[in-house]
Amino acid sequence: MKNIYDDEADVRTKALIRVMSLFFVGLIIIAATTSPIATGTKAGERAPPLEGKFYNGSGGWTTFNLESYWDSNWKEGDASGQWVALEFMDTDCPYCVKSAADMSANSADFDGSNPQWDGAIVNFIASVTELDINGHDSSRAEIVAFRDKTADSGQSCAGSDCGNRDGSAHAFPYIDDLDQDNMKEWKVGGTPSYYLIQPDGIIAWSSSENQGEDLRDAIISMVTRESAETDGA
Amino acid sequence: MDSNIQLMLYVIPTLLGFFLVLPIGRVLSSSLEEKFPSFSTERGRVLSGLILTCVAGFAVSIQTLWISSKVSEGGNFCASSTVFSCDDVIGNAAYNTDPFFGIPWGGIGAAVFCVLLYLAYSTSLEPNSTWVDNYLKLGTALTFGGFLVIGLLVSYEIQMEKICQYCTTAHVANLAAFIGFYRLMKLNESGEWNQDS
Repeated sequence: MKNIYDDEADVRTKALIRVMSLFFVGLIIIAATTSPIATGTKAGERAPPLEGKFYNGSGGWTTFNLESYWDSNWKEGDASGQWVALEFMDTDCPYCVKSAADMSANSADFDGSNPQWDGAIVNFIASVTELDINGHDSSRAEIVAFRDKTADSGQSCAGSDCGNRDGSAHAFPYIDDLDQDNMKEWKVGGTPSYYLIQPDGIIAWSSSENQGEDLRDAIISMVTRESAETDGA
Repeated sequence: MDSNIQLMLYVIPTLLGFFLVLPIGRVLSSSLEEKFPSFSTERGRVLSGLILTCVAGFAVSIQTLWISSKVSEGGNFCASSTVFSCDDVIGNAAYNTDPFFGIPWGGIGAAVFCVLLYLAYSTSLEPNSTWVDNYLKLGTALTFGGFLVIGLLVSYEIQMEKICQYCTTAHVANLAAFIGFYRLMKLNESGEWNQDS
């Protein structure tokens, strides 16, 4: 006699329901006890890693660790936490050479050395890439000459002597990203690009998401101020 | 609870399951045959070990998924300055998801162990059904494919110079599951499937 049903279906259905229940209980426990934050480069996401060797004016090129900047216990409104302003740039990009003056002014005003600034310290970092454009041939020597604004170094930045670039010499670290690894990881579309990152490693602002707004305005409006803490108390 | 002590909750059932799926499991389980009658046959022992291993593998995979969520919040669970630091491995955004869909490895592990558990559990409920042969072959193939993923993940650990002990437990569970499915498949093919001992 021909069966129109499967005698063994019940066993497999029972097993499937029990195993699926176990799976969903596991997922529900995770959903109920954690609030995961995605890693990415948009505001509200956790900053991806930034890797490579960096130059900080002395001691040659050493391994950079962005993680060391983060304070997982930082809470919004805490002015003691240190923020990070990150610039992706190319020493042969004319806009980057021009914006070096803004970076000089911003780092001088917000890196903790300016008594007029009552906000949290902002640590500046530059990640230097070499764009795939004719004439953009960079090197570590060129990065050093750009950062230190070394005159007559023989290094050319966007067609001029690197020592003639706008602004003063920079005191913040420059990371070698000539292989574009960091740029690709951060999905940077062009240079210069800027990111302002909270002390807990969450991106607060990016120039790509806020066209027309500059880094200085973002720092002033977003970085925790002691005066705001006092007002709020 | 210390993360390494908590790890024992997964390591102990994984190793128990591992011993049960091995031929040596007969020695270990002989004293328990009265309490667990299924241990008296080769098929029963291997199926019991396989189910135990799959449950432990699922649980430790869910735990790694939980750890990756916690680390993404900025928290710590098993961070260490030694080579054994699962936070550094599971929390590394460059390696902690699959390269195609961006799914956390812990989530993939949990889903795969659920499939393996379904195959093993269904087989244990109805061992003489016509589909058992296919289920055992599928389980063997899936766990064998798992070795390729384990190879990739171990290469990540070598690059990071860190070892994730929770991940390693899941890898051992996959090895035990492979042995279990393979031995059951061979047992099923040999015609000794329904022998009493």
